Amino acid sequence: MKRLALSVTLCAVALTCGCRPEAGHESGVGAVIREAAEPVDSAEAAAVVQMDLPAAVLSEVQGPGGRFRVAARKGEMERFRCSGCHKGKTVGISGAAGTAHDDIALRHGEDQGRLGCATCHHEKERDFLVGADEEKIDFDHSYQLCGTCHFRQQKDWAGGAHGKRVTYWAGTRIVKNCTSCHNPHSPRFARRWPATFSPPLDEVR
Amino acid sequence: MRRRSSEDRAIGDFVDRVLSRPGSRREFMKKAAGLAAAGGAAALPGCGGPAGEEVMLKWKEYFKGNYRLMTRKEKDETVRRLERLAKLQDGVDVQVSTRPEWKQVLFGYGFNITRCEGFMECVSACVRENNLDRISKTQYVRIFEMEHGQMNVALGDGKFFHEVPVEGHFYMGVQCFHCESAPCIKACPTKATWREPDGIVVVDYDWCIGCRYCMAACPYWGRRFNWNEPSVPKDEVTRKQHYLGNRKRTRGVVEKCTFCIQRTREGKLPACADACPTGARVFGNLLDPESEIRYVLKNKKVFRMKEELGTDPKFWFFID
Ligand code: HEC
Ligand code: HEC
Ligand code: HEC
Ligand code: HEC
Repeated sequence: MKRLALSVTLCAVALTCGCRPEAGHESGVGAVIREAAEPVDSAEAAAVVQMDLPAAVLSEVQGPGGRFRVAARKGEMERFRCSGCHKGKTVGISGAAGTAHDDIALRHGEDQGRLGCATCHHEKERDFLVGADEEKIDFDHSYQLCGTCHFRQQKDWAGGAHGKRVTYWAGTRIVKNCTSCHNPHSPRFARRWPATFSPPLDEVR
Repeated sequence: MRRRSSEDRAIGDFVDRVLSRPGSRREFMKKAAGLAAAGGAAALPGCGGPAGEEVMLKWKEYFKGNYRLMTRKEKDETVRRLERLAKLQDGVDVQVSTRPEWKQVLFGYGFNITRCEGFMECVSACVRENNLDRISKTQYVRIFEMEHGQMNVALGDGKFFHEVPVEGHFYMGVQCFHCESAPCIKACPTKATWREPDGIVVVDYDWCIGCRYCMAACPYWGRRFNWNEPSVPKDEVTRKQHYLGNRKRTRGVVEKCTFCIQRTREGKLPACADACPTGARVFGNLLDPESEIRYVLKNKKVFRMKEELGTDPKFWFFID
């Protein structure tokens, strides 16, 4: 919805000011960019500085530079391993779902029919998520799960237009996982107060 | 002692006439030159005790050259003085880097207006990272709350403070766009601001005379002036600094976003991009076709602000 509204605005701007919404002019930085077609290996330069890299796994999807790294999740999850409790089919303490996972309230895709826990969590292999063909998906690769329904976002994420890199622009490409930003059970960002505010323009100048 | 071309000198004289104000660096220079001619080093205070050391360091700082003309040795010396002065004056241990640009790097920035939600975490992070003045609440980054259908930031709300995001609105971040053809650089009479080889437009705070021509020339409101002596609480000072970045500034000089040169030349994202919780900020090497910023330029609808001015900013807004 927001996307559509912005598209319309953007087209209007492009028409009124006569500028093309493209990467650049024939000269200037646009031309410089077009000429730069060879990948730049920043590894050598990056080796000069000390990098403090987070735990990450090699992606199963391709980005513009091939496979990349994705921030690992299992170390961040409070209740991993699930099989510590989920040994059999049910945990077997009646009414315990409420107490064990009472912080989890599903608010995801409500308009299009509810997602159940089993839509995403593997019912037999409890330490895994589940793909469209019942295949196991590791929690560190949860972007694969999200990608089954959100293909466009996954593509942008792999390319670098959705989500973000962790700390460094150079060296090994490590990006945040979908669940580093989105709570899978309630993926929409909560409204909140901004971190700060700005003084009026004329007062600063 | 200061190497200046004849052109520089001519401009310098002009600036002297127009702008010399009491207590300015240039005024001091004139007096100092007079003193030096009259009595030589007799004008220098003795070196006993830290107060003497401080004066001596400041004295030497006054006579250093423009950063671009310094030799490696001179750079190392001024860095040592600045670090020592920070210790003597403010009691903080800082490290001032002079790391040059990386080869084959041209920095560029993308801002996703579909993604930004107005949380302003970029602004706070920038203030802390760059040691911005807390008294006058200097901020390099501004976020404007805009109604759908408008694209003119002048009509947006730049001082919102309520729960965000607001229905029917989007958010647009504005800061120095590091133009390839930057009008601010052309406007500077003392060559105190220039474009580094990696595309970052920087200011030599010790060479700036505070005439603010650059501010008038910038169509994006990218520069800030220090009306007062900037102040940062001691325990909040970012100690990892760069000569052309977040090192200490004084009253009467212009400063601005440097793409966090002290971070980006260490391979890190600028503080704003690193702090952004939504991923609206994309930063990287324009010369690398495999970089995120290049993906954005190739695959997204992008536009630049006031494109028609021909300033050629390296900052693109985009929607997905
Ligand atoms: C402290 C023990 C404990 C841990 C650890 C734990 N669970 Fe549970 N979980 C329970 C209990 C008790 C229930 C209640 C329902 C039942 O009897 O199965 C439950 C229910 C569930 C359910 C819904 C009912 C069902 O059986 O399908 C899901 C899904 C679930 N857990 C997933 C997880 C996942 C994924 C993890 C690991 C990230 C995890 N749990 C870790 C105790 C635990
Ligand atoms: C849209 C897919 C999806 C649905 C539906 C879903 N989950 Fe999850 N769940 C995930 C993913 C992905 C993670 C891993 C989160 C992470 O990376 O931190 C997760 C994590 C968990 C965890 C571990 C959280 C932690 O921090 O330790 C529990 C427990 C859990 N889910 C239970 C449930 C229960 C119970 C339901 C049903 C009410 C449910 N999930 C429905 C995708 C889903
Ligand atoms: C089984 C399909 C499915 C899976 C798997 C799935 N989603 Fe969704 N998701 C949906 C549907 C359906 C919607 C609602 C879409 C809509 O309204 O257009 C949605 C909406 C969303 C939204 C928008 C929320 C909003 O209220 O605007 C986000 C963000 C999101 N999903 C993130 C994720 C993430 C992250 C994962 C992986 C952990 C994931 N989804 C996995 C089906 C899925
Ligand atoms: C850096 C944080 C971040 C990461 C990582 C991230 N997203 Fe998002 N995503 C956002 C933000 C911010 C929005 C806008 C959210 C809103 O309005 O609630 C969004 C929106 C979405 C939406 C709603 C539709 C849209 O395009 O606005 C979907 C679906 C979604 N993300 C899926 C994903 C998937 C799938 C991944 C991983 C492949 C992912 N996201 C990774 C921040 C992130």
